[in-house]
Amino acid sequence: MRVNFVLSEVATGLRRNLTMTVAMILTTAISLGLMGTGLLIAGMISDMKEIYYDKVQVSIFLADDVTDEQRGAIETQLADSPEVQSYLYESKEEAYARFQQQFSQQPELVENTPADALPESFRVELVNPERYEVIAAEFPNGQNGVDQVRDEGDFLDRLFSLLNGARNATIAVAVVQALAALLLISNTIQLAAFNRRNETNIMRLVGASRWYTQLPFILEAALAGLIGALLAVGGLVLTKVLFVDKTLAGPIKAGIIPPVDWGAIATISPIIAAAGVGLAAVAAYVTLRLYVRL
Amino acid sequence: MIELQHVTKLYPASGRPALDDVSTEIDKGEFVFLIGSSGSGKSTFLRLLLKEDDPTRGTVTVNGKTLNTMSKWQVPKLRRTMGCVFQDFRLLRNRTVAENVAFALEVINKPHRTIKRVVPEVLEMVGLEGKAARLPHELSGGEQQRVAIARAFVNRPLVLLADEPTGNLDPETSEGIMLLLERINRTGTTVIMATHDYHIVDSMRRRVIELNGGQITRDQTRGVYGVGR
Repeated sequence: MRVNFVLSEVATGLRRNLTMTVAMILTTAISLGLMGTGLLIAGMISDMKEIYYDKVQVSIFLADDVTDEQRGAIETQLADSPEVQSYLYESKEEAYARFQQQFSQQPELVENTPADALPESFRVELVNPERYEVIAAEFPNGQNGVDQVRDEGDFLDRLFSLLNGARNATIAVAVVQALAALLLISNTIQLAAFNRRNETNIMRLVGASRWYTQLPFILEAALAGLIGALLAVGGLVLTKVLFVDKTLAGPIKAGIIPPVDWGAIATISPIIAAAGVGLAAVAAYVTLRLYVRL
Repeated sequence: MIELQHVTKLYPASGRPALDDVSTEIDKGEFVFLIGSSGSGKSTFLRLLLKEDDPTRGTVTVNGKTLNTMSKWQVPKLRRTMGCVFQDFRLLRNRTVAENVAFALEVINKPHRTIKRVVPEVLEMVGLEGKAARLPHELSGGEQQRVAIARAFVNRPLVLLADEPTGNLDPETSEGIMLLLERINRTGTTVIMATHDYHIVDSMRRRVIELNGGQITRDQTRGVYGVGR
């Protein structure tokens, strides 16, 4: 195959339909960018799950007037319980220190919170996180120095269902955009084929193979898909630098939100590029098959 | 070489068949005029030979291959054995004469060296030496048709199909084109030419197949255009 010939056909084709080509590239870029965002959120969710779920599952908050005996009894009970994988004691001072760190971005809140306002607690990791009820029954609220037993997993589940929702919404919009992109690609290819019907007719008559006739169109779409993917990756990089790294710097430093690292973007980029090029090429091929006589 | 057996072609939009039970045979090296009024089925006849369309009924055979059962990917191979010339020349406007001819070889992957050698040869044969670098709009109609013939012939096809090649040309220029087609025919290439030009048909005295309403109404070996002209 004459590479120069095919490439010059591709370049002419893209230039001839400049407005359509730009529209095609932009929708592809938006779709792929959203897809990348969805993938990044998905990665973030699994990172966050590791951060949170591993640390704590049940918190047993102690009453302010808890005696040393009561505290000791609770600890013995936790140590002996077959349900408990491990536990951690957090004193009032430690709780306050963690609070200060978590809310370092909101100094007013820290200033207005007295150092002893936060309760001491046992942070318990269960063998099976689903068995929260058993632990809750063993330590009734308001008795034996226990103020409250809280299932942190329950709160996390709600948080994660919110994040999962955000991810799904992003991917749903990406899919709708992808549909628009595919239709635009199809339309552009039909136009391109119409513009070059003279050439392709002659090619057909002198016996050029189907591949030879179709390849310029398919490459044209694939190239647009690649440019769209590059723009999408650029968008992700900008989002990281301008939004994630700046606006979300506080929570990330405090360990509330995992950072979006370059590695994640580097992993996602080839996926986006492959999706862009692949979808565009397939859309072009199908269009040529269905609508264009080559 | 070329054989049609009981070929009928119906187009969905029209009730009358474009070709109606047509059977004929054309041997290698023949020169055949296909005549008849507009809509008599001449173009359909040529389209079926190129497998641009499939017959509704009957079989079309070219070079021993039945086109009806030929798969799509074999069609390019078939077309490489056939050249086509049209009334409207169908040249690429933004390419020079030499590039137009070379195009036909490039898209079927002929090596560069072959193209460089063959293109000037065929341009000389059609009488366009020295005009290789011209663009089609700088040429006369007759010259443009010569380019089209060069393009059709450069691959040495077994069959040359010409659909009213002189339809846009004056009688004198047409004569030149016919001399060229005769010369190509003498190299052993079968030529099938659809035409309305009775001067040409009458002066050449070649085989004439007349179509009327999709049926062959006359097949004469040394025919004329029509009785009483």
